[in-house]
Amino acid sequence: MAGLELLSDQGYRVDGRRAGELRKIQARMGVFAQADGSAYIEQGNTKALAVVYGPHEIRGSRARALPDRALVNCQYSSATFSTGERKRRPHGDRKSCEMGLQLRQTFEAAILTQLHPRSQIDIYVQVLQADGGTYAACVNAATLAVLDAGIPMRDFVCACSAGFVDSTALADLSHVEEAAGGPQLALALLPASGQIALLEMDARLHEDHLEQVLEAAAQAARDVHTLLDHVVRQHVCEASVLLGD
Amino acid sequence: MVPDWKVVQDYLEILEFPELKGIIFMQTACQTVQHQRGRRQYNKLRNLLKDARHDCVLFANEFQQHCYLPRERGESMEKWQTRSIYNAAVWYYHHCQDRMPIVMVTEDEEAIQQYGSETEGVFVISFKNYLDNFWPDLKAAHELCDSILQSRRERENESQESHGKEYAEHLPLEVLEAGIKSGRYIQGILNVNKHRAQMEAFVRLQGASCKDSGLVSDILIHGMKARNRSIHGDVVVVELLSKNEWKGRTAALCENDSDDKALGDPPSEPMPTGRVVGILQKNWRDYVVTFPSKGEVQSQGKNAQKILVTPWDYRIPKIRISTQQAEALQDFRVVVRIDSWESTSVYPNGHFVRVLGRIGDLEGEIATILVENSISVVPFSEAQIVLQKNWTSLHCHQERMCEMPVNTPGNPWKVSPEEERERKDLRETHLVFSIDPKGCEDVDDTLSVRTLANGNLELGVHIADVTHFVPPNSYIDIEARTRATTYYLADRRYDMLPSVLSADLCSLLGGVHRYAVSVIWELDKTSYEIKKVWYGRTIIRSAYKLFYEAAQELLDGNFHAVDDIPEFRDLDERSRQAKLEELVWAIGKLTDIARHIRAKRDRCGALELEGVEIRVQLDEKKNIHDLIPKQPLEVHETVAECMILANHWVAKKIWESFPHQALLRQHPPPHQEFFSELRECAKAKGFFIDTRSNKTLADSLDNANDPNDPIVNRLLRSMATQAMSNALYFSTGSCAEEEFHHYGLALDKYTHFTSPIRRYSDIVVHRLLMAAISKDKKMEIKDNLFSNKDLEELCRHINNRNRAAQHSQKQSTELFQCMYFKDKDPENEERCISDGVIYSIRTNGVLVFIPRFGIKGAAYLRNKDGLVISCGSDSRSEWKPGSLHRFQDRITSTTTGGESVTFHLFDHVTVRISVQASRCHSDTIRLEIISNKPYLRPDTELLHQSSLLLKSDLVKEVTRTVEEAQLAQEVKVNVIQEDYQKYCQTKGRSLYTLLEEIRDLALLDVSNSYEM
Repeated sequence: MAGLELLSDQGYRVDGRRAGELRKIQARMGVFAQADGSAYIEQGNTKALAVVYGPHEIRGSRARALPDRALVNCQYSSATFSTGERKRRPHGDRKSCEMGLQLRQTFEAAILTQLHPRSQIDIYVQVLQADGGTYAACVNAATLAVLDAGIPMRDFVCACSAGFVDSTALADLSHVEEAAGGPQLALALLPASGQIALLEMDARLHEDHLEQVLEAAAQAARDVHTLLDHVVRQHVCEASVLLGD
Repeated sequence: MVPDWKVVQDYLEILEFPELKGIIFMQTACQTVQHQRGRRQYNKLRNLLKDARHDCVLFANEFQQHCYLPRERGESMEKWQTRSIYNAAVWYYHHCQDRMPIVMVTEDEEAIQQYGSETEGVFVISFKNYLDNFWPDLKAAHELCDSILQSRRERENESQESHGKEYAEHLPLEVLEAGIKSGRYIQGILNVNKHRAQMEAFVRLQGASCKDSGLVSDILIHGMKARNRSIHGDVVVVELLSKNEWKGRTAALCENDSDDKALGDPPSEPMPTGRVVGILQKNWRDYVVTFPSKGEVQSQGKNAQKILVTPWDYRIPKIRISTQQAEALQDFRVVVRIDSWESTSVYPNGHFVRVLGRIGDLEGEIATILVENSISVVPFSEAQIVLQKNWTSLHCHQERMCEMPVNTPGNPWKVSPEEERERKDLRETHLVFSIDPKGCEDVDDTLSVRTLANGNLELGVHIADVTHFVPPNSYIDIEARTRATTYYLADRRYDMLPSVLSADLCSLLGGVHRYAVSVIWELDKTSYEIKKVWYGRTIIRSAYKLFYEAAQELLDGNFHAVDDIPEFRDLDERSRQAKLEELVWAIGKLTDIARHIRAKRDRCGALELEGVEIRVQLDEKKNIHDLIPKQPLEVHETVAECMILANHWVAKKIWESFPHQALLRQHPPPHQEFFSELRECAKAKGFFIDTRSNKTLADSLDNANDPNDPIVNRLLRSMATQAMSNALYFSTGSCAEEEFHHYGLALDKYTHFTSPIRRYSDIVVHRLLMAAISKDKKMEIKDNLFSNKDLEELCRHINNRNRAAQHSQKQSTELFQCMYFKDKDPENEERCISDGVIYSIRTNGVLVFIPRFGIKGAAYLRNKDGLVISCGSDSRSEWKPGSLHRFQDRITSTTTGGESVTFHLFDHVTVRISVQASRCHSDTIRLEIISNKPYLRPDTELLHQSSLLLKSDLVKEVTRTVEEAQLAQEVKVNVIQEDYQKYCQTKGRSLYTLLEEIRDLALLDVSNSYEM
């Protein structure tokens, strides 16, 4: 069989998108009543659920408390049925640890932690279906959940992945494109200031191309921001209507 | 027309006909091809889509909201695909406001019934039906269709009755890939030995597997069984055999008539031997074949429909095709294509495509050479040029590029005012002139030199601005890209661009205004150091169109040649003198500069192998043929040096501007082991050749000069050239910077910029340079340049075409040599006996080079009956029983009677030249040693005369004989005419014969040679 053609001569990707196009994004805030904040997001077939508790007192050992700012605690997990092969993933395996750390770094950069010294904020993210760009979906879901919880942030954190095929940068990779093995970059952006909250890439890419890929990812992240902003506004509208009753 | 997925799969060859236009390929169909037929066919489809001449489009129906249909439960894949394609066709029909009728072509009977009358305006018919209705006149397509159908039917039959297997099955792809990764298998390209096609083939290692396995040499594949259905040129996967099964290659000379049983020679030392376990990529192309003659057909007996045909190329196995026309096609050269090769069959199956011409006919044989090298040169039709006009006016947004230019006496082409504003005008300020071979029509390059106000010198190289007339992706551009180069055969040439451009508007002729792309350097007045360089578009008017000999005369201070220069003819004495002085100063200065530039490069340790680039570029035969200039004129070198300088600076410029997508030319350093033969040969003559670097090699080649025999040095040089690899184009994005080096010219970066009329690579370089200039000016780049990947593909294509051009040139020269000697009686004709030099020793013969005709060939010392050569006291040779002994640098033949004769390397012998005719293949020259003494001609005057028998003379003579034959035919026509008159019939000479005659006259134009 011939190798898969990730980008056709006509400029279409495998799933019919153009190079810079995002997958369809649908999101809801406030999906759980008992949590302080919660959100659900679908990016194409990637689905993630985020729940936020806090800020509250430090649980467990008090020694972990930070005198000048809040502690951000992130946990990532993915459902056994989320990927093609059904596999039991024990709590705290390497991948979810790493993902948790990355989320923590991202949100420590975005949340105004110094407003809540000696307290703790918990962010739990669960991936229900993984079809590429899990990190981006997690960040976007968590952003909405943090907003839902009313925790003050500098800005939205919007994340998106980007890849590089045939000297063209592709935004928001799907699972098929990720599996092809090209370089892949994940970017979390604070869109208003254009600051980068997290940038991660672990494949080889020539430095001359980096700028191009980075720009594609940033543009996609800004697009995500527009969409998320819309979701938030709609949620606030609905909430105010309910309150008005 | 919308083809169904099945039609795309099976009849792609027919869809490729240029007559079939306006095909809409549905994405569904294309993806099926990609999945089921593999990369090769899919690439063919992609090329078809890219080619603007076909007017084909791909419609991404599965990505379109209204065309997408989900697959229903229980619906088979095939059904769903057909339904999707039909649905998209209907949508397309409505999309065009129901105005354009659409034909969907399918092979599925059910679909025809189901959808046939569902929507008005969308017709669903079978492919056969389609051809009958829409293309009743396109005979070739019908024939092709029939033969495809037939071969398919047969394949089905065969697969049912599959019996005893002839070959091992190929391993699945995953196993092969895993095997290559683990080092168990080796990947490479199969190269069949031309002289022992049945037994020997070699696999040249590719890429990574070369380093890992630690193998230096190629791998031998011994026998057809081990070759396992792979054909010359395929990318194969090989498994090495264990060491005790290794075999050696045969060093004996032999003919192709599979008479290897006669040779009981012990083979040389064993080399790595393997067997093919799988084929990664099939490289099947069109093959020229010959049908067996009548007698042989009958002997094949009962199975009269299936016929084994013999390919023209020795390296290709016989092909089995089924046709009813075998008898009619007996005397013709025919093109066939291979369809499949099952493991149950000894020979591959193929189908007949078209007829080329009669065997032995000059036109037919030339067509054969063209097809064998995959060269397709349809003449530029008027329609194509007109089409270009229409196309550009429709699609081109830039008005100034709008039309294909015309230049007729009534409507002369003019410099447009807008261009005048944008370009630097050198018409009044610079003395521009060109130096070319005599009679050259396509002048690419002109030179200029002058003194600036500050005393510095200004050197300019002005190249024809072809890209101005050839917008990217226009019809002409696409055609030129497919051709990639101008093909020079022995007697004719096939231009890359239509002659209105190549010989007129782009050609920098004398005395007319032309657009050019210039590189202008400012040089220091004394040291000739380069101070500044400027690149850009200009307008020039070449003052003189000189040829090499005249320029050399002027340089030498010999003013007799002045009368040959047309530009001087009409001037009065005084202005003539002034102008002449100006010109002589310019040529002299130019030569001086060229000498300095060269000397400077020499001093930097960057030494140049003399003329290597030229030899590799062209056929090295050409140099050997060229008997007159032993040392080329200095003017040759001057012009070449200026061109090299321009190429080098342009290479630097485009590489700096586009580090990942510049087209450069590299010449990789040669493998040392290839030089071993050269070193041994030189040792035999007492010379030492140091091959460690290009400098030492050039030095030692200069020293290896036998004062008594100048041919020795020439042979050594040509051997050195053969040992080197060819220079190649490449894209800078796909190579590390260290690999850019050009070994032959000893430059770090090099490209081809100076002949855009004849080479497509130069056109690409011109566009890159223009883009680089606009980039410097911070302007937007208009043309979209090739990306690295596209450029890499293009380079591969151009390299392939160049190789094909070289091969076809060589083969056509051989063809003419054979035709020249064919009519001569080898026993009596004086010309067939000539002096030859031995340049290589084999176990049963020697290889001989004949300087007079530039022929290289084998001469046997043992004939088929096992008799060896012996030379009596009068040095005449005879065949006697005896034995041969081969040594490093000599071979001794001893008869049973005790007489012996020894041939050393570089010995001069007398040979008789004869032609061995062959029905299925090209004729070959045979050499026979008739004396071991140098050949002395009867009288010296004749010697002088005939030694100048150049290739062009040979070509002329052959063309003349062809014409004579034609005249004889016309006489026959006259006789028939009388009969006609008798029976009150009138018949004039047909237009066809008239046209043929005119064409033959055109063939006489062979004087055009190729200088770089």
